[in-house]
Amino acid sequence: MENIITFASMTNAMRAKEALNKSRIYSRLIRTPARLRKGSCGYSLVVKSRFSQACGLIKELNIPYKEMIGDDAP
Amino acid sequence: MIYFDNGATTFPKPQSVVRAVCDTTRFFGANPGRSGHDMSLRASKIIYDCRKNAAEFFGTDDPENVVFTPNCTFALNTVIKGVLKKGDHAVISSLEHNAVARPLEFLKKYGISYSVADVVCGDDEQTLNNFRNAIKSNTRLLVCTGASNVFGIRPPVGRIAAMCKIYGILFCLDAAQTAGVVPVSVKDDGIDYLCAAGHKGLYGPMGTGVLVVNSDVVPDGLVQGGTGSMSADLNQPLALPDRLESGTPNLAGIAGLDEGIRFVRKRGEQRIFQKEIALSQRLYDGLSRIDGVELYAGRPGNNTHVPVVSFNIRGHDSEEIAALLNDRFNIAVRAGLHCAPLAHRSFDTVQRGTVRAVVSVFTQAAQIDYFVVCINKIIKLLSKKVAIDNKSVLK
Repeated sequence: MENIITFASMTNAMRAKEALNKSRIYSRLIRTPARLRKGSCGYSLVVKSRFSQACGLIKELNIPYKEMIGDDAP
Repeated sequence: MIYFDNGATTFPKPQSVVRAVCDTTRFFGANPGRSGHDMSLRASKIIYDCRKNAAEFFGTDDPENVVFTPNCTFALNTVIKGVLKKGDHAVISSLEHNAVARPLEFLKKYGISYSVADVVCGDDEQTLNNFRNAIKSNTRLLVCTGASNVFGIRPPVGRIAAMCKIYGILFCLDAAQTAGVVPVSVKDDGIDYLCAAGHKGLYGPMGTGVLVVNSDVVPDGLVQGGTGSMSADLNQPLALPDRLESGTPNLAGIAGLDEGIRFVRKRGEQRIFQKEIALSQRLYDGLSRIDGVELYAGRPGNNTHVPVVSFNIRGHDSEEIAALLNDRFNIAVRAGLHCAPLAHRSFDTVQRGTVRAVVSVFTQAAQIDYFVVCINKIIKLLSKKVAIDNKSVLK
């Protein structure tokens, strides 16, 4: 299962990606997949590794997100 | 052409700005924040980079607080029409541009009133008193320019912002003439809303403006529509910047604005200001030695003005002088009221306006000296014309 963090806006997603980059956590920006969209569109970050760290960082920085979905999701 | 119309928009733009506009249009011209393909994501990154750059430049922590607008007027309208409700009162300065005065005049029919506080050139205490006296129990918003676009006068905005905090009034700074010349931090200076033009002191392309929100009171936007986010919901997203940004953004313009802000940050606002104010003083001094030239608002000072010089030639309309400068000497200035009739009332120049000369970081001292020579020639030319006219009347 892919580790994904979904965002309501592109700006939030970009800001999160940048924060993860600074902590050397690699992520990929994608359109939110259909199964996670829940009738709305937005952008998501696919995080390959250190997912729980990535989630913690985004929460710590108060970057608004919609959902954190993955095996290690907090 | 010698260009002294930098108060309207700066020209030329830095090469990096021109390159960014061209490259974005040629190579990354996809719609940002709408699709998932590489070019669209690249375009989104361009927008985000500028948002982050502007956030740092204007002293806010969150890039989300930076909203791109088509110009400063749009940003001001967003604040004024979004914040004020029926029964509210606003205070503005006597130096405001029509971008502030006209929306407030328009809102009168919706039960919103406003008062004008006189800015007294060289007397900050009196100016503050005037603002204090204009405040009423229902005053919700105070809008003040960072500097007059006609006379360059800088009201004491730091102290006005502090006063607003004491009275619990929202403070909006019109930074059209100061952004890129006078350093500002919305957080440190207590500014709730900062509105700026992207194409003046920030050296971006026309069609760019910025609204920085530093308040929990977020205005509803003037426009609602597609944001590329939360599309299933027919309601506008509440979060910034999407709340205030609908429709396809001006990607090329924002790419240019990003480079413009980088240009200013690299040179340093203080250094830019020092250079420009010295040139303005040189211009003021040169003009003050010419008999027949009328100057206003005193010699541009380091803490009291931005680099704007307004003048007239005795007995002549400002448009006549601007036309002569253009036709005979290939010099670009602006004449008339500069969309700021309130400011002209203070100096009794509503009837004939003023000739306005505004320098930029690219202006050279030799151009200033040439300008002064040209004004001298125009005065001689006009006096000859008057003499000939008088002769023909006598005949």
